[in-house]
Amino acid sequence: MIEEDDEFLEQVEARLCDPGMADNPLRPILEDLFNRYRAQSRMLDRLVHIADRFQLAERDRGRKHQENYHRKVRQLEKIVRISDHYQHMMRELNERLHTLSTRDELTELPNRRYILERLESEISYISRNGGTFCLALADLDHFKVINDTHGHSVGDTVLTRVAHALEHDIRDYDVCARWGGEEFLILFPRTTATVASDLAERLRLAATAPVETAQGPIDITVSIGVTEFRPGESIDEILIRVDRALYQAKAENRNCVVLI
Amino acid sequence: MNDLDIPRTNSTPAIVADPARGVLSMHGDSYPENSFALFQPVLDWVEDYLTKTDQPLRLELELLYLNTSSVRALMDILDRLEEAYQENRRVSVIWLYDAANERVAELAEEFKEDCSYPFDIMAKP
Repeated sequence: MIEEDDEFLEQVEARLCDPGMADNPLRPILEDLFNRYRAQSRMLDRLVHIADRFQLAERDRGRKHQENYHRKVRQLEKIVRISDHYQHMMRELNERLHTLSTRDELTELPNRRYILERLESEISYISRNGGTFCLALADLDHFKVINDTHGHSVGDTVLTRVAHALEHDIRDYDVCARWGGEEFLILFPRTTATVASDLAERLRLAATAPVETAQGPIDITVSIGVTEFRPGESIDEILIRVDRALYQAKAENRNCVVLI
Repeated sequence: MNDLDIPRTNSTPAIVADPARGVLSMHGDSYPENSFALFQPVLDWVEDYLTKTDQPLRLELELLYLNTSSVRALMDILDRLEEAYQENRRVSVIWLYDAANERVAELAEEFKEDCSYPFDIMAKP
């Protein structure tokens, strides 16, 4: 099309230059038309050129928006990832805090606070639904002598070994906690006195094995008091009774289980 | 150039800017109710410092917990430093953490990811 246009324009230009056309009355009209056409054509070219420039600018602007959008999306993904990471860290810290507040540091058994909470909920459960539970209080015999003879480090080893033996031998739903010093309190939920007594005897045998220490094996024994919950009584009352049962076991030459 | 001295609270870090030394430091936890109100003056300070001086800027961080909007604000600050670094400004970050909590170092690494300027993550002595 453009080539045809060029050819046509050349033909018009040739006619205008032809001396034979000089006197033709149509020549000035043709020349005027030709000049107008060229001016219009130049203007059209400029318009097209400007329009193209605008389109290019728009395309660049669109690209910038797109890049900006992708950058924001990446930034958002990063914020979410880091934020998730922080939440994860907080959960771990919470778990650690929970362990610290419910576990005994030396033996890693549940601590006194934990078993007291469990006792409270056990008593509250029984007051609504009936049933019973038992408590056993185990105490290492002659622990003071072990400590005085072999030192606290050996004493700690003995305590830890007995703690693990007790925890290993209780049932899944029983709780064995370090009650303080060389005493361990065991909660037997939904258990009658006769069964608890047998369980305590099993624990006594499990705990009564020589403990390997840095200063050679040490023979140990434990005394255990056992008692069953009496409906309507408080935590203090059952704790006093289990303590009395232990005291009696100590009085009966130790290394035995006494049920009150 | 103004100093910036925002005292530490339970939910916001201590933020101190010392233009004479070219140091901006943040210490503590950050979970304010309004992160924008806390960090906008900090972003403004950084902008001001980078525009009005040609001195180096060091960001000293000792942050433990950040909520999501604080993460965003910190990323904005780090992005602004990157921009300055691309214009040949001397900028750097040093992030100190407690060796007992390695998680914080991992998080600092994530912040570092898109930064091409010196960014040191070090356990506190």
